[in-house]
Amino acid sequence: MYPSTAVIEKGYRKQFIKRGTLLATLAVATVLSFLVDIAVGPSTLEFAGVLQAIFSPESVDLSTRVIVWEVRMPYAIMALLVGAALSLAGCEMQTIMNNAMASPFTLGVSAAASFGAALAIVIGFSIPGASGDWMIVVNAFLFAFGATLLLQALSSLRGTGPEGLVLFGIALVFLFNAFTGIMQYLASAEALQQFIFWSLGSLTKANWDNIPLLFGLFAVIAPFSLASAWQLTALRLGEESARSFGVAVKRLRFLSLIRISLLTAGATAFVGTIGFIGLVGPHIAKLLIGEDHRFSLPASILSGALIMSLASIISKAILSGAIVPVGIVTSLIGVPVFVALILNKRRR
Amino acid sequence: MGKHPITLKAAALLVGVACFLQLQAQPITVTDVVGREVTIPQPAKRVILGEGRQLITLSLLVPDPVAITAGWTGDFAKSGGLLYEDYRKHFPALDNIPLIGTSGKETVSTEQIISLKPDLAIFGAGSHGPDAKSADIIRQLEAAGIPIVFIDFRLHPFKNTVPSMELLGKVLGRETQANAFVEFYNRRMNHIQGTLARHKDLKRPKVYMEMIRGAVPPGSPGKGNLGEYIEFVGGNNIGTILPGEVGTLNMEYVISEQPDVYIATGIATPGEEGLVIGQNVFTYQTQESLAKLATRPVVSPLSAIKENRVYAMWHLFYDSPLNIAAVEALAKWTHPELFGKLKPHGVLKEINERFLAVPLKGVYFAELKP
Repeated sequence: MYPSTAVIEKGYRKQFIKRGTLLATLAVATVLSFLVDIAVGPSTLEFAGVLQAIFSPESVDLSTRVIVWEVRMPYAIMALLVGAALSLAGCEMQTIMNNAMASPFTLGVSAAASFGAALAIVIGFSIPGASGDWMIVVNAFLFAFGATLLLQALSSLRGTGPEGLVLFGIALVFLFNAFTGIMQYLASAEALQQFIFWSLGSLTKANWDNIPLLFGLFAVIAPFSLASAWQLTALRLGEESARSFGVAVKRLRFLSLIRISLLTAGATAFVGTIGFIGLVGPHIAKLLIGEDHRFSLPASILSGALIMSLASIISKAILSGAIVPVGIVTSLIGVPVFVALILNKRRR
Repeated sequence: MGKHPITLKAAALLVGVACFLQLQAQPITVTDVVGREVTIPQPAKRVILGEGRQLITLSLLVPDPVAITAGWTGDFAKSGGLLYEDYRKHFPALDNIPLIGTSGKETVSTEQIISLKPDLAIFGAGSHGPDAKSADIIRQLEAAGIPIVFIDFRLHPFKNTVPSMELLGKVLGRETQANAFVEFYNRRMNHIQGTLARHKDLKRPKVYMEMIRGAVPPGSPGKGNLGEYIEFVGGNNIGTILPGEVGTLNMEYVISEQPDVYIATGIATPGEEGLVIGQNVFTYQTQESLAKLATRPVVSPLSAIKENRVYAMWHLFYDSPLNIAAVEALAKWTHPELFGKLKPHGVLKEINERFLAVPLKGVYFAELKP
């Protein structure tokens, strides 16, 4: 005997509400974390002062205004944006690659971005028109995006599936790492230090010039991701079933890859390499909410933003007054979570 | 009576020549800054520089430092900016000095060093090039019979600069020049140390130093490196909370500390991002780049900025016996009431006139004009 449609519908609605509640909870947690992030810092400025500085900047003294508007706010907002972008990219990547261990960095996107940054830092090479600090950003972005296009071209040559894509991606990682190695070999001690600092990933690069850019990028791309949610869910059931639902798998994969590379390139260009968010963010989202991409995509956005925001708090708190590059913190948090996820999966 | 003095003079000359020859023939034994005893048969004529920028150090003692450099690392070419270009102009042979590596210690080829048949290798005790921790390179060179001396201007500048210069004077057969430099150096250092010692209850102004490195956010010295200079001249380096030699301070911390003095260091050449300062740089170029640093919103609340105690210096003083000029500048900026009369560019002028083979010209220190 099969359950009646009414029962199924009831169960579905229940699940729908449960997932909606979980999403709301994640959102609240992210907002709370953001508030803590802008509330804490090495100075004695208390939360009321922060709020006053936010809502009436003219009424507070210059120090408070600068601390809130030039230090705490840009770092905290950049943390949310980068976390959201990398985690969303990671969620899509895991689906189109059909590989739970994939992340936006699997296919050499970050290796390519690093090489672009190294070119700018070590030999001052960039496209005409880019100068100063923008050289690094423009290079990192162009190389990251270019790497994806190259990857797409390579894999369409042979018409390989996700397995081929991963292998080409690994090849690109090694290739760009070697290029970066050459740059490091050629670099002066000072340029090398500069590059190492860039590659560690740090929110101190956030400012009111680059935040709107990353926000704009995310705001344009995320709706397209969310609009592809049901197709991605279908792909999760397997390529065959997706096709039978009428999903153009090849096209879906290509467009998804473009979105992933734009999000990753944008985040990496502005803050450097931030490890593990793109891997752990989507995993946490799916553990909480399941594989339905209508929920897991927004959940990934929120969980990525949340983890990154927490990492930002920790990076300020480890050594009061000093800043530990946030890329180190995310890896330190990410690795244990990642290992726990693998072990958990084994057990099941 | 008329003959006698000439005989005497001749005898004296003979004795002098004999002594000279004997000196030449006598092996030279020195103890280097890491405590190793090193003996070389005669003053070195072909040396390896483990850190290319130490060519500046050699040029304090030797009129043609390039002639005695048998091999070096490429770091001076990369970090030296327009000063390197001036060295090339003075010594066209500089382009022919073989490279033993590019910049980092891991790029150095021991085989290349051995094949150059040097009679001495000069390494820094702690440096970007091979240093006292490079056990493999040391072992291989010693096995090949190439003596190594360690000098140091970087790890412990105030302890090791004088012994390093004395040591170089001996191994290069330039003791007179080395002693003259040491005398000059000590006289200036003693003035600063002595003055500070007489003012024991001196208030130590808070100093915020930024090492400007191109487009990435600047680093600040912690307990070592240039932080030691700040403490030495009676300043209070707010970067001492950093765990390492250099790190990134949270700007919020810097603002809440309210430093009295702001100092930027850099090596950028005109047209590059960062602090434009150094050889053949014009005053207005340094002023422009320093003004740009001082008008960033994030430093606007600092009292150092509001009271215009904003200064700049060339970064590479920290790994050089020229550190004396940096010490004078920092002393002047930190305690103008004690050292207001010091002229750091005057120190460089005297060093140019008395010692350096290639004079330092341009802007090496700057005070932001209001």
